Amino acid sequence: MAALSEEVLLVVKKVRQRKQDGTLYLMAERIAWGPEGKDRFTVSHLYADTRCQKISPDGKAKIQLQLVLHTGESTTFHFSNDSSALKDRDAAKELLQQLLPKFKKKANKELEEKNRMLQEDPVLFQLYKDLVVSQVISADEFWANRLGDTNHADPSLSNNKQEVGISGAFLADIRPQTDGCNGLRYNLTADIIESIFRTYPTVKEKYCENVPHNLTEKEFWTRFFQSHYFHRDRINTGTQDIFSECAKQDEQGLKSMVVQGVKNPLVDLLSLEDKTLDEGYGVCTTLPSTSNSNRSVKESSNSAIIKRFNHHSAMVLAAGSRKGETPANQASETSNTDGNSRDSVFFQPPVKKVKLKEAIEYEDLQRENRPKTVALNLKKSDRYAHGPVPLQSQQYTTSQDIINSVNYIQHEMVNYKPNLTQVLSSTTASSAIAALSSGGVLMQAATQQAINQMVPSEVQGELKHLYAAAGELLRHFWSCFPVNTPFMEEKVTKMKSNLERFQMTKLCPFQEKIQRQYLSTNLTGHLEEMLQTAYSKFHIWQTRRMLRKT
Amino acid sequence: MASEEEINLLVIVVDVNPIWWGQQAQRATELTLSKCLDAVMVLGNSHMAMSRTNKLSVIASHFEDSHFLYPGKSWRMGDSCGDDASSSGDGKYELLAVANNLIAEEIRKVMSKTEVRGNSTDTLLAGTLAKALCYINRVSKEFEVGQEIKSRILVIKAAEDCARQYMNFMNVIFAAQKQNILIDACVLDSDSGLLQQACDITGGLYLKIPQKVALAQYLLWVFLPDSEQRSQLVLPPPAHVDYRAACFCHRNLIEIGYVCSVCLSIFCNFSPICTTCETAFKIQLPQMVKPKKKKLKQPT
Repeated sequence: MAALSEEVLLVVKKVRQRKQDGTLYLMAERIAWGPEGKDRFTVSHLYADTRCQKISPDGKAKIQLQLVLHTGESTTFHFSNDSSALKDRDAAKELLQQLLPKFKKKANKELEEKNRMLQEDPVLFQLYKDLVVSQVISADEFWANRLGDTNHADPSLSNNKQEVGISGAFLADIRPQTDGCNGLRYNLTADIIESIFRTYPTVKEKYCENVPHNLTEKEFWTRFFQSHYFHRDRINTGTQDIFSECAKQDEQGLKSMVVQGVKNPLVDLLSLEDKTLDEGYGVCTTLPSTSNSNRSVKESSNSAIIKRFNHHSAMVLAAGSRKGETPANQASETSNTDGNSRDSVFFQPPVKKVKLKEAIEYEDLQRENRPKTVALNLKKSDRYAHGPVPLQSQQYTTSQDIINSVNYIQHEMVNYKPNLTQVLSSTTASSAIAALSSGGVLMQAATQQAINQMVPSEVQGELKHLYAAAGELLRHFWSCFPVNTPFMEEKVTKMKSNLERFQMTKLCPFQEKIQRQYLSTNLTGHLEEMLQTAYSKFHIWQTRRMLRKT
Repeated sequence: MASEEEINLLVIVVDVNPIWWGQQAQRATELTLSKCLDAVMVLGNSHMAMSRTNKLSVIASHFEDSHFLYPGKSWRMGDSCGDDASSSGDGKYELLAVANNLIAEEIRKVMSKTEVRGNSTDTLLAGTLAKALCYINRVSKEFEVGQEIKSRILVIKAAEDCARQYMNFMNVIFAAQKQNILIDACVLDSDSGLLQQACDITGGLYLKIPQKVALAQYLLWVFLPDSEQRSQLVLPPPAHVDYRAACFCHRNLIEIGYVCSVCLSIFCNFSPICTTCETAFKIQLPQMVKPKKKKLKQPT
């Protein structure tokens, strides 16, 4: 029922939910929907429970708004008012956009984290069920140790995002579309604008100078695309063009880049030439001239476009290595790569050295630079050769005994002839068989069946869960010692009572159950022993504390 | 084309330490070396009779050396090695007769050549096992590719363990384990820790027989079946093996001790310097808590 004290912020009629007509109410703390004609709300969600809202795209026939809750459920509202559906939906959306952030609790993030952890790890989930759901231990204590780890890990991960580079084809991606009557339409997104600014810092300078003082953004870009700077053939007519300066700067940059050359001493760009096998199969005696005057018109236009391509690629690469530094730094640091260098000399040696080093050194052939170790200096290494046979007093035989024995046996074996029909008498054989049969002397150990064959698998499973739960509780208990702070004292007392509760609620019923099944094996003896040790430790600690107080 | 039948090779290592057996004979116990060898022959014959493809080898382990009793060095299937008694009159399978004769002849030779040199009186068991492994390796190489050969070693042990052979013994055990060769042990007199470990590691059977006289019966009951057949039979369960290490100072078997982190030598007591590698150690003593002065309550 709608509480009368709640403030209704927005009412939208003709909203369908689950194919039923009704009205949507947005209140101060929740959003609710009631069907047509009825007084009650069938759907009501607190803003605190809502994770996010979604709207259907603009082009679709159905105008919908969806609320996704933290639990994963979602509710969809369909705005079906013929005239104002879109307006209604947008109004609702705006209001929700303002209201939802207010109610977003930080704790929800943790809740999600906890849910995720429980879902990922079935063992943890089972432990949770055993301990928290059955109220042996409180949820806070359970999560006390576990969440600590994850909170530390996250910040460091989010800081190491990689920088996104610039696509070399960003200018080509603009893809002008014909606007109908002789105009061109350029679609500029924020990404493209950013790419242009990063690649051509001169353009960015112009932008900062002119916008918004002289030109609007739209005008600036129109001029940009109209200018010859942008187009293929850069005929520098220009005075009027604000970009003519940029063109001149680019030319200069390109020239200085060529002068600097490549820093890799092993790459010799100048030796790359178009050598064509002339007529006569390369026996041509006249050298092809490279002076500008002999070039044909075609060659010069080709060279212009190639120059532009090279310049563009160099700028893109330079922008990538610049990595969004502040403009103050740009001028000084890596600007040598785009030709407008100030401190180019500073950076030459390291790169060259690195390249040279890479070429001449092989890592595997180096002497291994392992940290210096101390040589092992064994004084009595024969100790290792001695097995775990204790040095017990052996029966010492005198040499006379030895000689006697050897003589005796030699005497015996001189005339050895195998007598295979008289090897065994039947009485000895039957006594040996008796010893080897089940129940016999040698077979005592075999009569004990393996314990895992006698106990049914559900009992085994339950025992494993008990062990996991007990282990968790005991871990909390034993981590409190040595008890230094009053917080620890409280915790110890609480853990002891938890252990007792665990024993009462989980262990004793289990024991009774297995007793009823006539399983004579003592499955819980070890668990009880562990709990007893914990109790006696607690008792000792308690008596000591009493003594100290008196 | 390799035949489909599996070849089973049994190598019997008999401890023929003359001193031990001589002492036994002097005490006039019922089991003499002759009887022991008879029992071994019975086992060998039974093994060869189980299947045509079964193979046998017998090695005598002495304090001087290890000697192959069977097969002999110059023995070939077709040769009439002994014109005298190769055809025994009782219609026995000829292979068995030849084997028995050869074993008897060889052991006589070994015993007559025995000389006491006073160096060592311990059975060279580790060396014999190594020879057995080499023999198995050679035999398995002699067959065609794809021919499966399963081998096992049965050790019949009489005299005591020799502690000096420990390293070699362990090497042999691990080599056998890698080659999937079982080592079984039939111990006549005193329990042998090394053989217990060998059987445990390679998956064989260790048995100390209560009645030495009935050796043949034990051999046939327990050690004749091979590893596949053993899973179907109820045999004596494996004994608990004592894997405790011995401390380097007293050679006591300890469960908890101190290990030097540099040379890994084991000690039963803490000492500030490791005697093997002379590394100095520091142990943090528990901090001394000053006892608080308690005010004694005067009883009123």
